[in-house]
Amino acid sequence: MITLTIALRYLLRRKVRMAAIGALVFLGTVVIILGETFCLSARHYSEASIINYFTGDFILFSAKSKEKPSPFSFTTPLPVIDRPHAVEAWLDTNRLVLSYVSIAQNYGLLSIDKNGRKTEVPFIFYAVDPARYMAVFPNIALVKGSFFTDRSGNATKGVVLSDFQRTIYAKNYNVDFSPGDRVTLLSLTDGGSVNAYPSQIVGIYEPKFYKNVFNYINFLDITSYSRLYNFTGVDTASLPPGFNQALASGSDQEIFDLAGKKSFGEIDTKLLVSRELTGYTMIAIKLKQGGAAASFLASLDKTDFGVKAANWKDASGFFASVAVIIQSIIYGATFLIFLIVVFILMNTLIIGVLERTAEIGTLRAMGGEKTFITAMFLWESALLNGAAALIGMIVSFALILTLKQTGGVRLPDIMAQYLVGGGALELLVSARPFAEAVAVVLVVSFAATIYPISVAVKISPLKAMSSK
Amino acid sequence: MTDSPIVQLTDVRKEYFLGETKVEALKGVSLSVNKKEFIAVAGPSGSGKSTMLNIIGCIDTPTSGTVVINGLEVSKLSDKDLTRYRRITVSFVFQSFNLIPVLNVFENIELPLLLQHVADPKARAARVMALIEEVGLADRIKNKPNELSGGQRQRVAIARALVTNPVMVLADEPTANLDSATGGRVLDLMRKINGRDGTTFIFSTHDQRIMDYAHRIVQIQDGQIIVGEQKANKA
Repeated sequence: MITLTIALRYLLRRKVRMAAIGALVFLGTVVIILGETFCLSARHYSEASIINYFTGDFILFSAKSKEKPSPFSFTTPLPVIDRPHAVEAWLDTNRLVLSYVSIAQNYGLLSIDKNGRKTEVPFIFYAVDPARYMAVFPNIALVKGSFFTDRSGNATKGVVLSDFQRTIYAKNYNVDFSPGDRVTLLSLTDGGSVNAYPSQIVGIYEPKFYKNVFNYINFLDITSYSRLYNFTGVDTASLPPGFNQALASGSDQEIFDLAGKKSFGEIDTKLLVSRELTGYTMIAIKLKQGGAAASFLASLDKTDFGVKAANWKDASGFFASVAVIIQSIIYGATFLIFLIVVFILMNTLIIGVLERTAEIGTLRAMGGEKTFITAMFLWESALLNGAAALIGMIVSFALILTLKQTGGVRLPDIMAQYLVGGGALELLVSARPFAEAVAVVLVVSFAATIYPISVAVKISPLKAMSSK
Repeated sequence: MTDSPIVQLTDVRKEYFLGETKVEALKGVSLSVNKKEFIAVAGPSGSGKSTMLNIIGCIDTPTSGTVVINGLEVSKLSDKDLTRYRRITVSFVFQSFNLIPVLNVFENIELPLLLQHVADPKARAARVMALIEEVGLADRIKNKPNELSGGQRQRVAIARALVTNPVMVLADEPTANLDSATGGRVLDLMRKINGRDGTTFIFSTHDQRIMDYAHRIVQIQDGQIIVGEQKANKA
């Protein structure tokens, strides 16, 4: 094939130029593959990290709530879920659910009498069933003490502080909390009164992921929490009518009037109905398969628990949004580099063809068909760019495997925190970036070859031969 | 010469612009060339010799006038037909050779056969080798154009033009770069082919030897044919 022969000869004859074009194709291929691999990995592991360590696939919360769950809504807690145990029982039987944990999100004060000095510090916390929480979100690395277990492994009650928070307390309040310290939990109720409940520090932990959220979050066992907030467990429907009238009343005078009635205040304890009130405001759920989200929501719609579902994107506050923004920036940067490479490459290829307009003119004067001339240049482009792209793919694959084996891509901490909750970004090995690189190299090479040829063969052979 | 015309130019004009200056390269040229003719187009530089050859070879188009080749009016031919005409009917010997720099002597001469889709490699090789022998380049068969002298390149260009046995060869100053001995050999070859195969040759030239060889000398000056001298047949 003379077209192939001519192509090969030109490749060998113009080594420097061909090496430059090859280097650009190689660079473009590597940029596409690494950039796309990075973006795919960021998207995949960002979602996985938020779901695995932060929110689960969904967070159920009270239908009465006007706000969506947020990791930062401690000071304005969501309304309590009315029947959490009923919801939990339903989740236990739902075949789509892998695991779940109920959470009460709130804030209070920790009072400690240590070294002859009484100190009160504010703290925000998740009140949870500790064992279940650990099973659902393996995000706790203990620094001291335990996560609500004693030396025998039995469940204990108390507070687990974040190590970061402990450091802040030491710095700002000059008090160093340690496991075993007796503390008093203080809370403000809706009515404005202060409740107190004796407790202890049982552990100090450090979050493995999402430190910029969990560094500020402490843990409290749900039993202590229920007692602290007086979730006494009496169904208001079993109270005498006067009580319910008073509870529903909007004015003090009306309550005083009710209190003046003789029957008011008479309670027959036999008629009272107990009700489990834990104070849970959220239930985080992990599904067996991410794709089952729609089915799960459909099954939830058929219940009457008075709860709504927020997906992981909504439940993570702005974390998912920031992750998307970072991914978009990475995409944008990759695309920009890619565009520059493509622009230079296309120009080089176009100039490479146009420089040979005289030769195209000669071939046309000799009766060379356009297909012959096109084939000649396409061979050249295919051989050079194909080889460069192949080398680019091999090098990219080797780089990806090396990075994967060495623990992934190390990112600036702030970026890593928002993107994957911290640490290195593990790389996802996918055929897609390689297929995209091949497609792009093919399209760019084809376009940058065909376009100048189509221009060159349109001018008369004489003019083409005269061109320099 | 009793053969029918292969080329018929009627009132052909060619104008082009050099910057803002209008150049009239041909000013109403009419010429009839019969098959098997061996014609020299003579005239000073810039007289319009090359322009006329380019128009006959369909690598350039006239501003006005009609060009009829083999009974077909060129202006009515499609680009595909013109390409076919250039591939099958006519061959060029360019003044600046226009060889493909990456191909060696053999491959450059073989190229027109490949463009004509001559499939049999043995037939191609035999034809190419015969011409290489005739132009005296048997010892240069593997050399690239940049490894050849000007005269050798010209001989490659001539062999390339002849390799397809075209109906007509258009040669722009074909002996300009050749010494007299080589020029003489090349002319002998062309005359031989003209006599043997009936190939029509049209040359632009200043070379008196070619004019001596020619059946007819067409004198052109300032874009106009001033003399169309018919000479005794030397074939």
